[in-house]
Amino acid sequence: MTQRIQIGAVFIIIHLSFGYLVYPNLVYVLTKTAHWEVVMCQCFLELVLIWIYMKGLNYFPENDVIDIFLKMGRWAVIMFLTPFVIHLIALVALNIRLHTEVIISIFLPRTPYWSIMALLFFISVYTAIKGLGTILRSSIFIFLIVFPLVLFNIFSSFINFDLNNVTLGWNSPPKFLLNKNFCYLLGFSSFLFLGFMTSKTKLTFRPFFIAWVSVTLFFLSVVYIPLYIFGQEPVVVMTHPFMEAMDSIDISWFSFNRQPLFFGLSLIGLVILANAVILWMIGRIMQKMLKCSKGESSYWIIAFSVIAFIFALFIPNKTLMEKWFLYSTGAQAYLMIIIPCTIFIYGFLSKRGVVGNEKK
Amino acid sequence: MKKNKRYKLLIVFMSIILLCGCWDIKDINKRTIPLVLGISKEDGKEYKLTLQIPIPNKDSKISRIVTGKGETIASVLGQMRTNSEDAVDYSQIRLIVIQNNLAHNQQEFKGLIKFLMDSEEIPSRALVAITDENVENVLSNINDKLGVHASSIYDYFNKGAGWAPEIFSTPIWEVYRSPFLYTRDIAVPVVRSGKDTVLIFEGSDILKKGKIVERISPDEYQLINVFQNENKKGKGKIESLGFASIMITNSSIQNITSMKGNQPLVSSDLNLKIHILERKEGITDHMIQKELEKITEKRFYHILKQTQRSHTDIFGFGQQFHHLISYHELKDWRNEYYPKLRVDFEVHANME
Repeated sequence: MTQRIQIGAVFIIIHLSFGYLVYPNLVYVLTKTAHWEVVMCQCFLELVLIWIYMKGLNYFPENDVIDIFLKMGRWAVIMFLTPFVIHLIALVALNIRLHTEVIISIFLPRTPYWSIMALLFFISVYTAIKGLGTILRSSIFIFLIVFPLVLFNIFSSFINFDLNNVTLGWNSPPKFLLNKNFCYLLGFSSFLFLGFMTSKTKLTFRPFFIAWVSVTLFFLSVVYIPLYIFGQEPVVVMTHPFMEAMDSIDISWFSFNRQPLFFGLSLIGLVILANAVILWMIGRIMQKMLKCSKGESSYWIIAFSVIAFIFALFIPNKTLMEKWFLYSTGAQAYLMIIIPCTIFIYGFLSKRGVVGNEKK
Repeated sequence: MKKNKRYKLLIVFMSIILLCGCWDIKDINKRTIPLVLGISKEDGKEYKLTLQIPIPNKDSKISRIVTGKGETIASVLGQMRTNSEDAVDYSQIRLIVIQNNLAHNQQEFKGLIKFLMDSEEIPSRALVAITDENVENVLSNINDKLGVHASSIYDYFNKGAGWAPEIFSTPIWEVYRSPFLYTRDIAVPVVRSGKDTVLIFEGSDILKKGKIVERISPDEYQLINVFQNENKKGKGKIESLGFASIMITNSSIQNITSMKGNQPLVSSDLNLKIHILERKEGITDHMIQKELEKITEKRFYHILKQTQRSHTDIFGFGQQFHHLISYHELKDWRNEYYPKLRVDFEVHANME
């Protein structure tokens, strides 16, 4: 049971990490009114995919995604998981760089970005090498530190709300579903890691439903806080609407007069764990694909993370990085649909096959 | 055992990296922290920046004024940093005073606000004020007044609710946001240096899409404030009616909006709780109530007419029509709907 809570915490933390920065911008581009419709659509699609994923995984108790693909054959692992690993490396690099950029702009304007990147990078790699147990335990720790900060950010922003800025209308028909940006938006749902944690615990749907509800509420708040403070038209031209919204808050009686600071601090905690999970996933895939021992897999983690770090270091500018980040979430959306569906179909077919064999 | 040692080494190594993070840090006692920034433009060419910096002292009553000139604001800020003895930290600026010749130039004013908003150092919650005088005079006025606290200009705008309801504060982000909004305009307070006090409040400049349209008096603005910010009610305001003075102890407003064809309608009821401070002989409560109601209504219709003529929705009535008019039509609110708006404004004064 504790492990399920821990996995739930990881689930929430990864979503928060991806959702805090670029998520609201994409929603504002997609629609001018009724933003909640977009958020809800994205979250429901995610819920459906999680359900399919879990159903598929439960066909194979005590196996994780890689084992299942190995059952299909080595070609399946190479075909499905090699692009996945490449995507993950890119994701680590872009994630670390994007967060560093924002952290610098909030409270370390005079520090070169490679030093902050190195710090975030070392802690994540260390956690990833230590393995699943460490990740899960630290997830609770980070959750307890970051969650109050996130809540404080959300609640402190109430003082600047102008409720008339937004009307909760209804958009019909929802045109945004056909927009390619919606595909990028879908990529923010990162639940694929669940399939890598199933070898010891059996996943049940209910705890994830609770985690999913809190993530949905978080996404809604991230989208609506800048809207309530600024309104739709100014928000579209801002690079980081949520950060600007935090900067507008002035609580004179409070000893910390800079709310973005809390935002920046929570970002650090979130990105470290998110990257650790991704690196650990890479390690697991390499370990099982090449049948190496546990010690050797940590070399793979180090090798790939160094590649990611170098990649992050050489990204020339901010706009290009944000563009690439979008592409990588697009790739994530693609993998997010492919992997659960494949596993589900394979599980379904093999179960029927087994039943058929017994009849003979 | 061998493995354990390797990890310990790694941790030691990591802490060395962490320590390097402090290489360019400057302690707070070696920083100069300006509170007020004045911006003006001389001869339409060079920007002139004035900083008011409190000097930490036992009584901390003194401050000094630093000025700099340059082509762009960023360059002046950098130049001031170069010339200062200590590291200058702009992140604590709380008030920005802009001289009127710069503020009245729409293009430059917009650019200035955008710069202040995008600047990572200057917080976007700093307040904005406009002055007709030379900015330098306004800021240095503090030093001339004996016994005035160095942060007094900032304190002036933050007396706390109810002490001076006419004064209001407008942060940068609100000024930045206002040109984008379809249905709401804002006002920026206008101040000048006083003879005996540090500042004198002169009224407020109304901004329409980032352009200053007109100036209104403090009394008029207070009425607008009641409409715009329900949480900043006009508490503690003292009104003189000629034959009596009263204090408004509480106010609440209720708006009902509707559309009649293409014409927007608002029926709005302002409830005032009053407390009579003094009156001449033979004046009844009823007479005072009626007079106050008449004056307030007259004042309101005067501003409404004025702003409808200039298509400036300073009351933010349009905000309340967001659910009645479709989003794409809201764009035309200022020009199409607002001049047609009819408001049934009624004041109900009640004795406390």
